[in-house]
Amino acid sequence: MAAAPAPPADRAALRPLAWACAAFAGGVLLNCDRVPAWTAATALLLIAWRLTTERAGARLPGTVARALLALAVVAGVLWRFHTLNGLAAGTALLMLMSALKLLETRARRDQLVMVGAGLFLLLSACLDRQSLARVPLYALQAWLCCSALAVVASAGFGARAALRLAGRALLLALPLAVALFLFFPRLAGAFWAIQRAGEAQTGLSDTMSPGSIVKLVADYDPAFRVQFAARAPPAEELYWRGPVLHDFDGRTWRRTSGVFHLRQRLQYLGTPYRYRVALEPTRQRWWFALDTPAQSPDTNVLLTYDNQLLGAEPLTEPVSFDVLSYTRTRALEPLGAFGRQQDTTLPPGANPRSLELAQTLRQRAGSDADFVQATLDYLRTGGFVYTLTPQALGADAVDDFLFDTRAGFCGHYASAFVTLMRAASVPARVVTGYLGGEWNPIGGYFVVRQSDAHAWAEVWLQGRGWTRIDPTAVVAPERLRRGVFDLLPDALATRVRLLRGSAWLTGLLQRWDAANAWWSDHVVKFDYSAQLDLLGRFGIRSPDVRYLGWAFVLALLGWLALIAWHVGRSARPAPPDALARAYTRLCHKLGRIGPPRAPHQGPLSFAATVTTHRPDLKDSVYALATGLQRPSAGRRTSRSSGGRLHGWRCPAPSGG
Amino acid sequence: MPDRLQSGVDRRRWNPLAPLPALVRARVHDWMRRRQGPDVLPVTLERRRLYILPTGAGAAFGLLLFLMLLAGLNYGNSLALFLTFLLAAFALVAMQQCHRNLLGIAVIAAHAPAVFARTTGAVHLTLANPASLARAQVEAAMPQRAAVAADLPAHERQRLELPLPAPTRGIVRIERLRLATTHPFGLFRAWTWVHTPIEMMIYPRPHGALPMPAHSGHKSGARPRGGSDADEWLGLRPFRDGDSPRQVDWKAYAREAPLLVKEYRPAGSELHLFDFAQLTDPDTEARLSQLARWVLEAEAHGERYGVALPGVLLPPDRGPEHRHRCLAALAVFGTDDGARHGGGAGASG
Repeated sequence: MAAAPAPPADRAALRPLAWACAAFAGGVLLNCDRVPAWTAATALLLIAWRLTTERAGARLPGTVARALLALAVVAGVLWRFHTLNGLAAGTALLMLMSALKLLETRARRDQLVMVGAGLFLLLSACLDRQSLARVPLYALQAWLCCSALAVVASAGFGARAALRLAGRALLLALPLAVALFLFFPRLAGAFWAIQRAGEAQTGLSDTMSPGSIVKLVADYDPAFRVQFAARAPPAEELYWRGPVLHDFDGRTWRRTSGVFHLRQRLQYLGTPYRYRVALEPTRQRWWFALDTPAQSPDTNVLLTYDNQLLGAEPLTEPVSFDVLSYTRTRALEPLGAFGRQQDTTLPPGANPRSLELAQTLRQRAGSDADFVQATLDYLRTGGFVYTLTPQALGADAVDDFLFDTRAGFCGHYASAFVTLMRAASVPARVVTGYLGGEWNPIGGYFVVRQSDAHAWAEVWLQGRGWTRIDPTAVVAPERLRRGVFDLLPDALATRVRLLRGSAWLTGLLQRWDAANAWWSDHVVKFDYSAQLDLLGRFGIRSPDVRYLGWAFVLALLGWLALIAWHVGRSARPAPPDALARAYTRLCHKLGRIGPPRAPHQGPLSFAATVTTHRPDLKDSVYALATGLQRPSAGRRTSRSSGGRLHGWRCPAPSGG
Repeated sequence: MPDRLQSGVDRRRWNPLAPLPALVRARVHDWMRRRQGPDVLPVTLERRRLYILPTGAGAAFGLLLFLMLLAGLNYGNSLALFLTFLLAAFALVAMQQCHRNLLGIAVIAAHAPAVFARTTGAVHLTLANPASLARAQVEAAMPQRAAVAADLPAHERQRLELPLPAPTRGIVRIERLRLATTHPFGLFRAWTWVHTPIEMMIYPRPHGALPMPAHSGHKSGARPRGGSDADEWLGLRPFRDGDSPRQVDWKAYAREAPLLVKEYRPAGSELHLFDFAQLTDPDTEARLSQLARWVLEAEAHGERYGVALPGVLLPPDRGPEHRHRCLAALAVFGTDDGARHGGGAGASG
């Protein structure tokens, strides 16, 4: 059963549908990089198709076709996500179902549904990403949707009028929105569990293969920002610990899962560093901290036996935490048998030449510490080259690297070094994380970028415990001093080098980063405790939710009064002009001495009445009445005519 | 300016109280009427007589905001919450703007010119916008009728014609008019009732093939005022193309009246009396239609005519006012209005 064909529409009639489609398309585009490509493409195609149909006045598909399409869409989403719950799957489904709704969009109500879908997609994008750079996009989409509301409500609006109207209303709404944002009491905790499956993880992963870290090197996005309470450690101590990897299959390092050790008691040496880390969401569980954190910053975060901070849930929102770290420690307990076994295991049969080398070096060295030094010397003098574009490695990756290519970057060196250690039964593990950080003088913090990703080793030395060894630093000491960018091949680094080439651009970038940090700290992470802090800043001693409620109500009422005044001002009639005032005075006076004006009488008719009773007033009354009758009546009279009539007086009755 | 008029006939009739039972609705209207008091035009729409409620779209928008708030709170997501608050504040601004779109408008005049039965008449409504704010999409409607929308630029007047079908002769009374608007975003509807009684006289349909009865022989008693001896002064009528400038009433024009033409007719024209009783058609309506037709014909030929109905006698005369008196007498003949106006007493004899 096909729907009745719509008659071909003219431009003005097409307008509401076009705007509703635009609002929806805006929502689709905002989300297009987080749903499968076919979803967004289907939605955009349907929009284009619907607009062409409307223009041509063609038929819309019938009920059966629509039902089949809807089923296909649900099946498609289920096939891709295996669920309809969750933000990404829900967004994809909303996108497709709304696009199908377009196929039956005829009445105004259907167009409103499309605008609503545009707003919902905007909400979904906000829930997904809150970075400062995307805020202008969100603002544009909100503006577009509000303008579409105006056009759908009344097709007479042109684009410019609708945009102006909506823009004005949004600007007037902004102060209240800010007040509500500050004072609307936030709830702690979620009402229902949230599935965030199917979203891309960013940053370091929990495996390391040859070449895996280099993917991050060209990524200039910040991973986290760090503000030290007092003195910052020297640059060569800025090792930010991420996933610690124990399991090796000859090629790839992995985190051991399902193993739980008690954390060893440690003696902390050297300077304690207090600092605050602001993490960007990674959709992964690790929280980055300087070398060895002394305790967990949060009840939901576990400080593991290998000194990682491991969150209970993947990070989907930015988070800040205060933590205390040391860069030098000494173990107070020996390494347990299980731990020793875990960190000396190598895949059998793999990398035979490396094993042989390790045996030789170990026999020559007096102690484990000497062996470590000998291995580092071997790397330094063996003609090794630091490069971010090494040759591909074979099955015995460590052998290939140590004896054939001799060129690689941090991952290769850490992997090879730990393999050599383990081959000589020295417990060793690979630590991945970040090295260094860029000082931002504007915000007073270090920003650590994805490009600072690094891998190093830790070896267990008798009497000292786990000791950090960075084999890359031996081969390429400049990596520590200058960061990775000078070592990048041109293809990867052109953009970054260009940015960093000019002091002006660098300053600009630092400002932008500081703005981002401010945004993340003060807006994105604004929560109930921040609200209470804010009240405290207004001088309230023991702020609680009641004060928030009061502030909320006061802000709302104050704003409403302001808006009513602002909006109502232009609706009030202009003050009466000289003519109208004179006429009112005349009517008032004649109301007392006669003849009075009948309610239905206009100025000319009243003038006739007056003339019959008071012929002496004829000229002046007619002058007044004809003046009022002119089309310009009601507008402010010009100065001259106002002045001419200013002295008008109703003469006293002449005794009639 | 008629080009700004839009006939909003396709709009669905809207009544904010439609879902309520009729009794409650009537009581609410009584209440509104009592608190507003009787209206004498011109009426300025003040705050206390404007009502405002969300439209269906507005209610849906509210629901959307509630869901957004829940999502924002649940995810603890600042940006989503800010978006929600921004849209909520936007809706409040929209409410204010909707309200002020009616606020301060003056209803200057409302009347319905007489029409013939089986045509469509109209209530002519004059609105004025005395403020510097342009008003858009102000809808005017009679109860249970489609609305007509118009824009009111700043400091301007606008005349709206609300179509009103005239099926049968008699008087149609409109008790009140509704002015409403959903401008600018369709989220709210502000409205007001203006309780100004409007009467539309519906003349009988001029119809019938009988020839005009021959003149009854009476000679006119009244002497024409003004004009020459030979010509009879008929009155003033609007200027038409082709009129001689000598006939134009320049004095009136000097007083800024419209261009009028003095009309004279040769003296000694005929005199008719159209008598209801002399017609033989058994159908009263057919007789009235015939009489109405004769009245129009006689007036068109500039002849003097009168109408005799049972209980009513309009002595011969001529001119637009006389024509209206005669047709009105025909219109209300036999109706309650006819009885009230001291006209014919019920059925024909």
